[in-house]
Amino acid sequence: MQTDTSPYLLLLVLMVGALLLALVPIGLARLWALTASPPKPGAEKNAIYECGLESKGDAWVQFRPQYYIYAIIFLVFDVETVFLLPFAVSFGGLSAGAFVAIMIFLLLLVEGLVWAWQKGVLSWK
Amino acid sequence: MSSIDYLRLLQLAAPETFLTLTGLMVLAVDLIVGRGSAPGTRIILSGSVAATGCLLAAGGLFLLPVYGTFAAGMLVADPLTVLIKVSLVILTLFTVLLAFSDAAPLADPGEYFALLLFACVGMMFLTSAEDLLMVFLALEFTSLSLYILAAFNKQSPHSTEAGIKYFLFGSISAAFMLFGLSLVYGVTGSVQLPEVAAGLARAGNDPLALVALVMIAMGFGFKVAAVPFHLWAPDVYQGAPIPSAALIASGSKVASFFVFAKVVVIGFGGAPAAVGSGAAPVWVILLGIMAAVSMILGNLAALVQVSVRRLLAFSAIAHAGYMLLGILAGTEGFGPLVYYVITYGLATVGAFGVVSIVQARTGSDRLCDFAGFHRRFPVLAFCMLIFMLSLAGIPPLAGFFGKFYVFAAAVKAGSLALFILALATSTVSLFYYLQVLKQIYVGETADASHWEPVPITVSVALLAMAFGVTLLGCFPDLLLNRITIALRITGF
Repeated sequence: MQTDTSPYLLLLVLMVGALLLALVPIGLARLWALTASPPKPGAEKNAIYECGLESKGDAWVQFRPQYYIYAIIFLVFDVETVFLLPFAVSFGGLSAGAFVAIMIFLLLLVEGLVWAWQKGVLSWK
Repeated sequence: MSSIDYLRLLQLAAPETFLTLTGLMVLAVDLIVGRGSAPGTRIILSGSVAATGCLLAAGGLFLLPVYGTFAAGMLVADPLTVLIKVSLVILTLFTVLLAFSDAAPLADPGEYFALLLFACVGMMFLTSAEDLLMVFLALEFTSLSLYILAAFNKQSPHSTEAGIKYFLFGSISAAFMLFGLSLVYGVTGSVQLPEVAAGLARAGNDPLALVALVMIAMGFGFKVAAVPFHLWAPDVYQGAPIPSAALIASGSKVASFFVFAKVVVIGFGGAPAAVGSGAAPVWVILLGIMAAVSMILGNLAALVQVSVRRLLAFSAIAHAGYMLLGILAGTEGFGPLVYYVITYGLATVGAFGVVSIVQARTGSDRLCDFAGFHRRFPVLAFCMLIFMLSLAGIPPLAGFFGKFYVFAAAVKAGSLALFILALATSTVSLFYYLQVLKQIYVGETADASHWEPVPITVSVALLAMAFGVTLLGCFPDLLLNRITIALRITGF
């Protein structure tokens, strides 16, 4: 096989091919649409027909920040699980130092949870 | 890869671990004991736990230092880093003591003191990192704590503004720095500082290395408030709660300058000259420009400030310029730089402490609010005299020797033009420092209202700092000898 030509040539060919593959059908469809279905918009035609409900109001509503705080507190459990699983699997071969280290790490997370709890973050108002 | 010896890690990182646990204890004490008590009691309660923790950590570091390296430079504890860590903890201790003052009514004292301690832990890790990834992580940990500290006074729009500005500038410059560090990794194939140095020396004038250098200078330039990355400084120094501003101005600067110097001098020190054989290496040119512009802009802008905290901010920018001279002097300037940043941090925290007293009683920090301060608190006015003259660099005080050694190192390293500029601009700086003292000592005021007395912890902290600045000025060898010995052991 001949490899001394530019190795990027193949990439270029692929890229052009990909572009054509994407653009040609769209172009053809556009051409076909111009001749076969001239644009005549109307109230009936623009209505959401069997495609869901009419939207009411603005989509830019305010979220309660409590959702985010819940998500952040969920991280405590999430991260805890991620680290506790390998810790539990290799528990037998761990040194005392490693045990102390993971205990300090757990203390950090647990105190975070207790702190949030005591601050009343967990009670939904 | 061999397994990690956690016991060794805990031993080396004992002070950091201890301070982290102290932070957690401060939170717990404030939650359990302080619940339902008056805000003043809660401040005293959680503040004294934090202060005790700092004292113990500093004592432990000073008396029982543990030296060693962990995981190829992730955590390095040698005499030099231990020295810096002791000074960081002491600066944090003074900041904690300042927070006892009623300058900014703290809604959540437990969280505030815990964050001060966490910021200190971040700076300590930053100091002992010789691994670029660890440098970035520690820098982010410090910054995140400091962002919250800057925005801590939720009642004050200025504090919020300070927090947001600090956060926006900080996160963007952190992104640049991370990009720079990734380029360094791309060029050298390593994130450990000694190997990075060897890799950069091999790479020569690789344009990628230059781009990386500029980006890293951006990241650190933001942290140390050097022009042109200084825009956040005046607003943050003015708007943030005073203890937060004091920590940003002192501890954060000490740690950042130390790491900046380490990364540039060790990492990029071996890089060859730019174009032609006689020219200086690129990092020298880059930092030289930053230093010159910082000195000029900082000092000139400080001349016209009305707010004393803004004045301190621009003076901090000017001092960043002088400190950059220390980095420019290479390994020769390392010791003087460390001496300079530590004494500068001490004087700055002191100056912020006096400002906090005035601001708590008049509601603002304009120059004219300082009028008559001497009549009300003669001893504290004398402390302010010491801090201001030290910042200006008047002989018997620590600031003079800091400047003297840094400038001498700069001359030795051959940057004569910058030396002359530094001399000229520090003469200019005398004007605005004396402006503050003039108001304190001879300013006329019609206001004869009674000012409530200063909390004892704040007076003790201010007196201790004034004593420290004077002592280090009269006997600079006390600190300088330690630095020199530490540098020799570390092998600079």
